[in-house]
Amino acid sequence: MRKLAIFLSIAVLAAISAVALAACGGGGSGSGTTSESTSESNAGGSAGEGGGSEGGTLKGAYTSFPDYMDPQISYTAEGWTAMRPVYIPLLAYKAAPGEEGAEIIPGLAKEMPKITNGDKTYTMFLREGLKYSNGEPIKAGDFKYAVERCFLTNSGGSPFYTDIVGAEQFAKTKKGGISGIKVNEKTGEIVINLEKPQGTFLNELALMFVAPVPQNTPNEDQSASPPPASGPYMITKSQPGRGWDYERNPYWAKDNGKQMTEIPSGHVDKIEIEVNRNQSTQVNDIESGKLNWIFDPPPTDRYQEVKEKFEGTQFKPEPTISTYYFWMNQTTEPFSNKKVREAVNYAVDPAALERIYTGQVVGTQQILPPGMPGYKKFELFPHNMKKAKELIAESGVKDKEITVWTDTESPNNDAGTYYQGVLKELGFNVELKILNADNYFTVIGNTSTPNLDTGWADWFEDFPHPNDFFDILLNGESIQPTNNQNFSQINVKPLNEKINKLAEEQLGPQQESKYAELDEEFMKEATWAPYGTRTLSLFVSEDINLETAIWNPTFETELTSLEFKK
Amino acid sequence: MPSESEKSGAETTALEGAVVSPGTGPGGSEFAIVEADSGARQGGGPWAIAWRRLRRNHFALFALGVFLLIVVCCLLAPVWANQVAHTGPNQTHTLEKLHEGGEVKEVVEPSGKAIGPQFFAAGGKFFLGADGHLGRDEMVRLLYGGRSSLFIGIVAAIITTILAVVFGLLSGFYGGWTDTVISRAMDVIWAFPVVLLAIALGIVLAVGGLEIGPIHLKSSSLWIPTLIIGIVYTPYMARPLRGEILAFREKEFIEAAVAQGAGPSRIMFLEILPNLMSTIIVFFTLNIANNMLLEAVLSYLGAGVQPPSSSWGTMISEGFEALYSQPLLTIIPGTAILLTVLSVNVFGDGLRDALDPKSKVRFEARAGSSDPEAIGPV
Amino acid sequence: MLRFLVRRVLGAIAVLFAISVLVFLIFNVVPATNPAQRIAGKNATPQLIKNVEKEWGFDKSLPEQYWTQMKLIFTGEVKSYNAHINVDERIVEGIPATASLCIGAAIIWLAFGFLFGYLSAVRSGGWLDRGLTVLALIGISMPVFWLASILLYYFTYKIELFPPSGYEPLSDPGKWFSHLILPWISLAVLFAGFYSRVLRSSMLDVMNEDYVRTARAKGLSQRRVMVKHVLRNSLIPVITLFGLDFGVLIGGGAIVTESLFNIEGVGLFTAEALKQQDFPSIMAVTLFGAFFIVLFNILVDIGYAYLDPRIRLGASAA
Repeated sequence: MRKLAIFLSIAVLAAISAVALAACGGGGSGSGTTSESTSESNAGGSAGEGGGSEGGTLKGAYTSFPDYMDPQISYTAEGWTAMRPVYIPLLAYKAAPGEEGAEIIPGLAKEMPKITNGDKTYTMFLREGLKYSNGEPIKAGDFKYAVERCFLTNSGGSPFYTDIVGAEQFAKTKKGGISGIKVNEKTGEIVINLEKPQGTFLNELALMFVAPVPQNTPNEDQSASPPPASGPYMITKSQPGRGWDYERNPYWAKDNGKQMTEIPSGHVDKIEIEVNRNQSTQVNDIESGKLNWIFDPPPTDRYQEVKEKFEGTQFKPEPTISTYYFWMNQTTEPFSNKKVREAVNYAVDPAALERIYTGQVVGTQQILPPGMPGYKKFELFPHNMKKAKELIAESGVKDKEITVWTDTESPNNDAGTYYQGVLKELGFNVELKILNADNYFTVIGNTSTPNLDTGWADWFEDFPHPNDFFDILLNGESIQPTNNQNFSQINVKPLNEKINKLAEEQLGPQQESKYAELDEEFMKEATWAPYGTRTLSLFVSEDINLETAIWNPTFETELTSLEFKK
Repeated sequence: MPSESEKSGAETTALEGAVVSPGTGPGGSEFAIVEADSGARQGGGPWAIAWRRLRRNHFALFALGVFLLIVVCCLLAPVWANQVAHTGPNQTHTLEKLHEGGEVKEVVEPSGKAIGPQFFAAGGKFFLGADGHLGRDEMVRLLYGGRSSLFIGIVAAIITTILAVVFGLLSGFYGGWTDTVISRAMDVIWAFPVVLLAIALGIVLAVGGLEIGPIHLKSSSLWIPTLIIGIVYTPYMARPLRGEILAFREKEFIEAAVAQGAGPSRIMFLEILPNLMSTIIVFFTLNIANNMLLEAVLSYLGAGVQPPSSSWGTMISEGFEALYSQPLLTIIPGTAILLTVLSVNVFGDGLRDALDPKSKVRFEARAGSSDPEAIGPV
Repeated sequence: MLRFLVRRVLGAIAVLFAISVLVFLIFNVVPATNPAQRIAGKNATPQLIKNVEKEWGFDKSLPEQYWTQMKLIFTGEVKSYNAHINVDERIVEGIPATASLCIGAAIIWLAFGFLFGYLSAVRSGGWLDRGLTVLALIGISMPVFWLASILLYYFTYKIELFPPSGYEPLSDPGKWFSHLILPWISLAVLFAGFYSRVLRSSMLDVMNEDYVRTARAKGLSQRRVMVKHVLRNSLIPVITLFGLDFGVLIGGGAIVTESLFNIEGVGLFTAEALKQQDFPSIMAVTLFGAFFIVLFNILVDIGYAYLDPRIRLGASAA
C-alpha cells in the first residue's frame, strides 16, 4: 500500500503461514530477534519493566490529518497508525518489529479461524464479554456490519472483500446484507464464505477496514466523532484538519485487555496529536521537548542534521516494504520493444537515485522489496550506460517523442527530472509532466490519459504478502480503464495465470519460492525499472524511551509502545 | 470592482480615485491634450521634453542600464552554458566529482547537500554552486531561468497592453452596449481574486495543456503562464484607459474631428490613441515588474513555469525545499528577481516623472502594480 | 443613496454569480480529472467508482451539479473531496488567524506608509526624500516569499529569536504576537512602500492647490498647513486604496504569506485547496474572497462620496 510503510528487516520463513497452521498456538514463543523485554512489558500492560514509566501525556504531531478517522474508510498509513490502538479487528498483526510484526494473531476472535470447504469457508468465534469504550457489548454482528459498512460508505477498502459471497451484489444494491457472512449472537460464531479460495484473506481480516463497530454507527464518514473503541485507547476528541486526543479506554483493563494479552495496553494515559504543516517546526519541537513523537520523518532538508545529531538516542531509520520504480507502458511505442525497456534498466542508476533521495531510498532492481516474503535478491541490469546505448541502437528506435510522468512531491519530482535526463541521453525527445501528488495516480491510472509513456511510481504494501504486489501491479487482468495500477499495462498470459493460481493458495515456503521466480520473470520482461525501497524513521523527544519503541511493518509506529523514561 | 458607474466622469473618479488619480479630473490631463494638438504626431514636442527630463534623471538611467545588462546576460545564457560551464540548464550531475587543483569535490554529497559557489575555481563550472540533489549548475539555471522570467514579464505586458487598449477604446469610445458588456466582463475578472484566478487556470492547464482549434499549447509551454498573466491583469489597465477615453470624448478636438467627418477608427487611432501613449508606456513598464512577481508566485504555487524548465520563481520554490540547509538556493534567484523588478520600477518611476510631470497617472501604479495580491503579498 | 446601494448590491450579486459560474466551468469543462476516481481510492473497482459518482452526484447534469454545489455552500453543508471536512466550517475557523494577520500587517504598513510618505513629501526633492523613495521602491519590488524565506531562515533557524511558524490564538497574547511578528513584516513591507509613494504624490498634488497656497499666504505655520490642510486632503486616495487592499487580504488573499508561515487562515486553506484541486473548497474560497472584494469596493465608493464633496452617488447612474 502506498504510503503505508513497513518494516521487515529480513524475509525468512512465512510467519503468516506458520501462524495460520499453528492456529491457536499464540505468539508466546517470543522468538523475535529484537528486544524481548518489549513484548513482555507490553503484554502485561502494567508497571513498566523495561526502564520506562507508566502514565503521562504523550504529545505528537502529524503533517496532515489522516484521510479519515474512521476505521472502515481510512486507507493511509496516517489513519492506520492513528487508529491501531483504538480499533481491533477479529485478527490482528502482532505489535512487534521486523518479521514478527507480520505475524497474524487473534484479535477480537478467540482463535485463528478454521479454514474448510476447499479454503473457501472461514469459521471463528468472538471472545466473550468484550465491551466498547461506551460500555456496550461487542457483538458478532458488529463484524458483519463493519464489512457491510465498508461497502455502504464506498470505502477504498471495500474491493478487498468483494470475494465474499454476496458482496458484489451488496455493493450494487446496498440492500439485504452480505449473504456470505453468517453470525450467531449466542455462541459468537462467525462464518465467512468466499466465492473462491483467497490466499490473502487472513491478511485482509486483520486490516482496519473490518474492525467491528456498533451497528448504530451511521453509514457515513465519522471522522469528527469516531465510533467507540474496542482497543486500549479511545479517541475523546477529533477535529478533522486540526488534531485529535486519546484517553485510556475504561473497559480495556477490566474486560478486553484481560483476554487479549498479546495486544499491548500502552504506557501513557493520554495522547494528544496536533496537525502541524511545517515539518521543520516539528523537528524543532521534538528537540525542545514540546513534542514527544512525530509521525512523518524529518524533512529532507533537515534529515541529515537530525540523523547526525540524534541517531541511536532519539532517532532510528526504519526500512519499509516498498518499491520505487519507473513504469514503461508496453502497449505503445517505444516501450513495446523489450530492448528499449532493457536499455532503460541498464541506464537508470540506483546509486544516483539513492543520492537524490538523500539516502532515504536504498537501491534495488527488482519488484519485491527486502522484507517481503518471497524476496530473493538478484540484479539483472547492473548500471551500464554503454550497454544501454547499444541496446537502443539495436532496437532501431530513434528520436522518439515520449512523455515522462511524475508527481510534485520532493524528491519524486527530482527523480522524474533525473529519469528525463537519462532518457534524453538514450536519444529520446522527452517531455516531463509533473502533476500534483493528490491527483497523480488518478491521472496516470486513467488509461485514456494521452501520452502515458513512462514515469515514476511507488508502491507500499497493504499487508506483507507478495500477492499484494503482483496481482495489483502486474497482472494483465487487473488492467482497468480508470484507477488502474498496472501502469506498464503488462499483460503476459502465462504470468497472469501463475499469479492467479498462487493467489488461491495459502502462503508457504513453496509459494514463496514461486513468488521469487515470478519476480525474476517480470524483471526479465524489464517491465519496470525499479530503483529502490524507502526508508522512513522514528524520531522522538529526549524523554521517550527509544529502545522500547516499536515500528510495525504494517502500522509503523506502535503508539502503545511509546513510554516516558523513568 | 468596479461596478456600475463610470457612466460619468465624476463616478469614474470616485471609483478609481485611487486608481486613475485626480488626473482625469481637473489637473493633469490638459498637458496631454494641449500637446496633442501641437506636437504628439510630429514626434517633436512632448516626447523631446520628456526625453530631456529623463536624461537628467541619472538614477532612472542607471536602473535602465542595470535592466538592460540583466537582459543581455540572460540572452547570453547559452554562451555561458557552452563556453564556461559546459553543461545545460537541466543537465544533472548527481554522481559527478569536481577536480579543483589537487582537490576532488563531490557535486552532491551523499547527504544530498550540493556544492556551494565555486566562482572561477573550477574554471567557471558551478560558478554559483549546484542546485540540490540533482547537481544542476545554479548559474546556468539562473541565466536560463531569467530568460523565462523576462519573457513572461515582457510578453505578458504586451498582451495586457494590447487587450487593454482594444477593450478600453471599444468600451470608452462606443459606450452603450459594447461598453456594458466589456465593463461587466472586466468587473468579473476584477472581483475574482487575481492569484486565485491565475492559479486555477494554471493548475487546470498544467494537466492537459491548451487546445483551441489549430493552436495547441503543451502543458509545459511558457505561453500558458504568459497568457494567464496577460489576461488577468487586463482590467487593471483597461479601466483607467477607458476612464481617460471617456474624458477625451467630451473634448473639443474630438468634437472637431467628428465635425470634420472623421470615422470612428480614425478618431480612435489617430486622435485618441496618441494621447494615451504616455499612460500606456508607464503602465507597460510597471506591468513588466508586476508580471515577473506574479510569475514567481504562480511558479511557487506550481501553476507557472513547469519544471524542469527553470524560471526564477521555480528556482525559489525549489530552493525553498532546502531553505535551512542551503539558504543560498532561495536567496540567489530571489535577488535576481528583486534586482530586475527594482530596476524596472525605478526606471518606470523616472519615466513617469518625465512623461508626465504633473503626475497625471501617478496613482495608476496602483492599477497595474499593486493590486495587492498581484504584487505579491500573496 | 438608497437607490445607489440597491443597484450596487444587485450588481455585486450578479458579479458573484458570474464568478461562481466561471469557476465551475474552469474545473468542469476543462478536462482535468474525474473526482470520483480520486475519492474511490487506489484499488477501486468500476462498481465502487459508480457508487461514488452516485454518492457525490457526479452522474447528474452540469447545471444540476452546479445548483447542488451552490446549495451546499450556502447551507453550510459543503464537503471537500479530500478530507471530507466541512469547507464552510474550515473557512470560518480560519477567519481569526487571517484577521489577526491582516489587521496587524495593516497597522504596520499604514504607520510606515504614512510616516515615510509624509516625510518624503515634506522634504520633497531632498536627500531624505530620495532615500525613502529608494526604500519604498525596494519594498515594492521584493517578492514576498523571498523576504519571508529570509526572515524564516535568519530569525527562526539561525538565531532562533522567534518561533518558526504557526498561529497561536489571541488567548495567549504573548505567543500570538511572537508568532505573528514575522508574517506581519513580510506582508506589510510591500504595502508600506506603495502607500508611502501614493501619499507622497497625493500630498504634492494638494500642496499645489490654490487653497493651500492661500493658507500659506495667510501666514499659517508650515506644520499647521501640512497637517490640517494637506495631509487631510491627501488621505482620500490612500483610504480608498486601503479599503480595496484590505478587502482582498481579509478574503483570504494572503495565500503565500499564510502558507509560508503556516498560519492556518483562509489563505492557507485556499492554497491547499488549489494544490489539491479540491473543487468544492476552491469554489467556496473564491466566493468568499470575491465577496469581500465586492463588499469593500462598495464601502470604498460610499466612503469616497463622503470624503469628496464633488461626488454625488447615483446622480448619473440613472
